[in-house]
Amino acid sequence: MSTDIAHTHDDHGHHEETWLTKYIFSQDHKMISKQFLITAIFWAFVGGLLSLFFRTQLAWPNETFPLLETLLGKWAEGGQITSEFYYSLVTMHGTILVFFVLTGGLSGTFSNLLIPFQIGARDMASPFMNMLSYWFFFASGMVLFSSFFIQTGAASGGWTAYPPLNGIRDVSINLGSGLGFDLWILSMALFVVSSLLGGLNYVATIINLRTKGMTMMRLPLVMWALLFTAVLGILSFPALLSAVVLLEFDRLLDTSFFLNNIVIGGDLLAYKGGSPVLFQHLFWFLGHPEVYIIIFPAMGMVSEILSVNAKKPVFGYKAMIMSIGSIMVIGFFVWAHHMFVTGMNPNLGIVFIIFTMLIAIPSSIKVFNWLTTLWRGNIKLTPPMMFAIGFISFFIFGGITGLFLGNAPVDLPLHDTYFVVAHFHVVMGVSAFFGMWAGVYHWFPKMFGRFMNDTMAYIHFWGSLIGGYLVFIPMHFLTGVPRRYYSFEQFQTFDIFQDVNIIITLGAFFVFITQFVFVINFFYSMFRGRKMTNDNLNPWGANTLEWTTGVEPIHGNWPGDIPEVYRWPYDYSKNGQEFIPQTTPLAEGEKDGGEH
Amino acid sequence: MTTFLIFFAIFLFFMVIFYVSKALDLARITREGQHNDYVGSTKVNAFLMMLFYIVGMIVLVMTTYHLAPRLLPESASQHGVAIDEMFDYTVYLTTFIFVLTQTILFLFVYFYRYDKNRTAFYFPHNNKLEMIWTIVPAIALVVLVFMGINVWKDIFDFSKLEGKDVLHIEVTGKQFAWIVRYPGNDNKLGEREISFENINDFREKYGIPNELGIKWEETASQDDFYPNDIYLVKDKPVLVKLGALDVIHSFYLPHFRVKMDCVPGLPTQFMFTPTYTTAEYKERLKGRKFWKDIDPNTGEERWKNFKFELACAELCGRSHWGMQKNVVVVTQEEYDEWAAKQKPMYEMVMKDKLSKK
Repeated sequence: MSTDIAHTHDDHGHHEETWLTKYIFSQDHKMISKQFLITAIFWAFVGGLLSLFFRTQLAWPNETFPLLETLLGKWAEGGQITSEFYYSLVTMHGTILVFFVLTGGLSGTFSNLLIPFQIGARDMASPFMNMLSYWFFFASGMVLFSSFFIQTGAASGGWTAYPPLNGIRDVSINLGSGLGFDLWILSMALFVVSSLLGGLNYVATIINLRTKGMTMMRLPLVMWALLFTAVLGILSFPALLSAVVLLEFDRLLDTSFFLNNIVIGGDLLAYKGGSPVLFQHLFWFLGHPEVYIIIFPAMGMVSEILSVNAKKPVFGYKAMIMSIGSIMVIGFFVWAHHMFVTGMNPNLGIVFIIFTMLIAIPSSIKVFNWLTTLWRGNIKLTPPMMFAIGFISFFIFGGITGLFLGNAPVDLPLHDTYFVVAHFHVVMGVSAFFGMWAGVYHWFPKMFGRFMNDTMAYIHFWGSLIGGYLVFIPMHFLTGVPRRYYSFEQFQTFDIFQDVNIIITLGAFFVFITQFVFVINFFYSMFRGRKMTNDNLNPWGANTLEWTTGVEPIHGNWPGDIPEVYRWPYDYSKNGQEFIPQTTPLAEGEKDGGEH
Repeated sequence: MTTFLIFFAIFLFFMVIFYVSKALDLARITREGQHNDYVGSTKVNAFLMMLFYIVGMIVLVMTTYHLAPRLLPESASQHGVAIDEMFDYTVYLTTFIFVLTQTILFLFVYFYRYDKNRTAFYFPHNNKLEMIWTIVPAIALVVLVFMGINVWKDIFDFSKLEGKDVLHIEVTGKQFAWIVRYPGNDNKLGEREISFENINDFREKYGIPNELGIKWEETASQDDFYPNDIYLVKDKPVLVKLGALDVIHSFYLPHFRVKMDCVPGLPTQFMFTPTYTTAEYKERLKGRKFWKDIDPNTGEERWKNFKFELACAELCGRSHWGMQKNVVVVTQEEYDEWAAKQKPMYEMVMKDKLSKK
């Protein structure tokens, strides 16, 4: 980066900042990342709470809880939630967790926080777009939240929004398919805008604003992960936008993009020629890359944290980049494995079996490389490191069940059952959460200039690890039990797991309550935590650039010139030194680790 | 009051955690100073990790022991046997990978925990190792994919039905019921025509809905019957034509490993061959773990009241969870007896209605 640009940014730092421009309409990447994180914590609370309501119904389908009626009013008349509300709950739980928590909270928070810091830039390529990205995200959340308070309730046709259930604006077909679903679509449209504004910015920043010496092969792995995440988002979110906009046309203007030959109440409706399966193709063209949008940032942060705390270079830096890159590319050709039994031509399924199973190869490379990173390390079990290890454990667990679901004949009986629910919750729910927590604990000092309490962090870890397995190990045994069932009483075949459902629900309560340890710790430490001091600017002993900034970095990040980079970020335990920051020039005759 | 007490107890619990954590942090700072090098907590947590691994594995084995008997029993259809085999192979492979990698993970964490006097081994890459864990999983996957594709192709190879005695039935999903149509004596389902004339105008004209758009004037339609339960014949292939009226449903027969979506405006189909009659299947379950237990709902041993069921596996609205139908597999003789007793819809209702105009 040239010094001219640095200067203009320096001047920028001298501008008078009002409370409004500093905390609300901030264009500083650090503040925006905090906004994303805190919004995501709010949404995680809401999404988790919703799951407790429907888990209560699944565990005790015949019991009444007066508290529910007090809280939910007409949606839980007599103390038992209605089936319509049950479907709203699962729909909103899915939407909120997938988009607002695991996309906004992971990619939004950490792209904003880490990209300028780790590549050595004063801010994003377009701070203004960055601010817009957050406010679109915020608006999208508010629109969705408002749908809880309307007469016909929130969307209830599943987070996948399949037509015709969601394609006809008629509350007699599906209560949530009224105004609630219009708001859902609006919310998704706003979210796509947010994600595109953010994504374009992230890519532009990583490509263009790297500091002197920061070649692509010297980027920390988390940068590569966030770069690929952004590219995935840019290429796949528009498909979701087109799908939901066309769906809204079907609903409001009676077009027939996704509807054909529909008979309701004994009458044929005037929809002709559309295909419900087309919607599924469009939806999953985003929907599948979306799971990588969720897991990539977690993978990147875990690579980074493992390396820092094991005091060892990430094993196979290039292989890690190539594997995450190939997951991204192949990830675009696997969407129809969600549709093996939807009436899609079975021969087409064969292509998707091949591509889907292919993804297991780069995934297993990543796992073995992480394990080798630990081998003969000198592992400090700091709180972020604990969560990084938890991430690997859950990622393996959730990853291998993908081998069942990616193989069409095995998927056939498992499709739309609790095995699927267990699989994706472990691999992109729990493990992504563990990645997110690892990131929060690791970079909290950088965000707020204070430390979180370690004891509470360890309690949070153990509660979440035990709780996570407590919920999802038993769930895998509900192998043939269909998901999205309000009650299993109608079926002799499925009504034999009541005790298991109670265990899962108790586990869910346990995990949810454990999160309060995190929330208390987070907000208390934000204001009152142990302060980071000037003699402790690099508390974890990391090589990356963000730890060369001050206690609470100024707007523009570095007071003077941006530091220059001389080496890759993984020189740990090299030549007897515990860590060698990227800003340390290469010794004479020393070869840079990144360029094998 | 109880609710309040529970919340109060939880609140107190958090207060305790909070103050104890704060005190521990303060104690550590007084002992070691501001900078935390995590020596103490690494020791404790490495031990806990190992404990978690051992206890976790034991609990996992016990859970499997207790819950495995409740998994769906063996396939009651021909193609399902191959599916179950694939499932089993995948279980063996994934269990091996799971145990191997989790063991490595937790052992490494335990054995390579922080020690001041040790330096980590600078080991940035090794092409040979990386080749090994690219190629070995690749081989395993190629095998799985090949087997999977073959099984998959076979499931949908409709040419197998040529020249065979096939039972043709049609199942249509609607909110929230299944319409089952059997072909009657001619073993031929009457044709349908989805049009305003045949559905909307029909209803106006005759005062009775014709949701499926059946052409009632055809003789093939006139002997079709619409039973409550689905009857299938042992060892006789059945071709199910699937469809839906309003929203997407999914035709799911868990015991037969059958699942196919029913999509409005897009006909789908599935073929399978039942291999046990309901009575034979009950006999197989008799005496098995879990199945010989007393069912609290009936007071009898579970296997005695066993039945095959049809369920909906695609979210279709508020009563998605109630779309149940019984499926009965019988011998050809029993089937013929049953079919003879079924009255065609035309005879029962339509003839009368249609003649009035």
